[in-house]
Amino acid sequence: MRQPSAGEALTSALSAEYAAIYAYGRIGVRLTGAARDAARQAEAAHRRRRDALVVQLTTAGGVVPPDRAGYALPFPVTDRASALRLAAEVEERTAAHWRAALASTTGADRDQALAALVEYAVRATRWRKTAGSTPLTVPFPGRPT
Amino acid sequence: MVLTWPVGIGRTTQRDQTSGHSRRKLLSAGALLVLGGAVTPLTGCDLFDRDDQPAPPPDPLRPMVDESLALAAAYRASATAHPDLADRLNPIAEAHTAHATELARVIGVTVPSAASVAPTTPPAADSNGARAALRALEKTAQQSATAACAAAPAERAALLGSIVAARATHQEALK
Repeated sequence: MRQPSAGEALTSALSAEYAAIYAYGRIGVRLTGAARDAARQAEAAHRRRRDALVVQLTTAGGVVPPDRAGYALPFPVTDRASALRLAAEVEERTAAHWRAALASTTGADRDQALAALVEYAVRATRWRKTAGSTPLTVPFPGRPT
Repeated sequence: MVLTWPVGIGRTTQRDQTSGHSRRKLLSAGALLVLGGAVTPLTGCDLFDRDDQPAPPPDPLRPMVDESLALAAAYRASATAHPDLADRLNPIAEAHTAHATELARVIGVTVPSAASVAPTTPPAADSNGARAALRALEKTAQQSATAACAAAPAERAALLGSIVAARATHQEALK
């Protein structure tokens, strides 16, 4: 398989961030209390990465993909349990996009991709903890299964 | 003498991307490293005698194989000492063993037997202390993996990134 360029990898990460922000809109309304606050913070983190990516791709003269009105969710969110499951899933999937960017980046760009991978993997673990699901971790965070 | 370049050849053939780069530059600059091999002055007749070639430098990821196995052993020891933690610790021990296996595959060595690695320190008597000790080990290991990921060539970066992230998630799971 051809190695995607750094621009392609970051464009794909941006699309993942759009979808994550959309998903958290669906997740947040099913949660209450501390879990809802955590969802709000998670969504804010994805918005920050989205904004940084838009600036980065624009500055580099690359193509900035547009956000979409909606994204297909892997399963319906109908209650607290499914909301928490989706939150963990969203973090793992966005982590996977940043993991994919590691190979095509170096230096500060790779550091940035690694920071995102680590942050999202840790948050996925926190969501599993909140949901009471086990195991709390996966052996290779972000690796396609 | 054109064959003995004033560079540490041992240094340029190992490690990270930066030095990999410099080796490529040297090669493209026409340096006859293929014949060079040795840093010691060459005498005429041993030019093509490969017997005295230095052994290839160890792969920079080799220590991470041992590190992963040592972490797995530390988790197993703590799980044995604190059966109430076993459900939480055993999956993490397995993750570290999986990392060692994958790293060994990538660098082309046989993974040493997991059972042969004994933890250096016995687990703490209380379970909170044991968890704190494991968290500290993971934190240090996360830092070493982060450095390895930053320096790695493209084809290794994703695996190392996953290992960095795994070690971070283990700290979270131990809280």
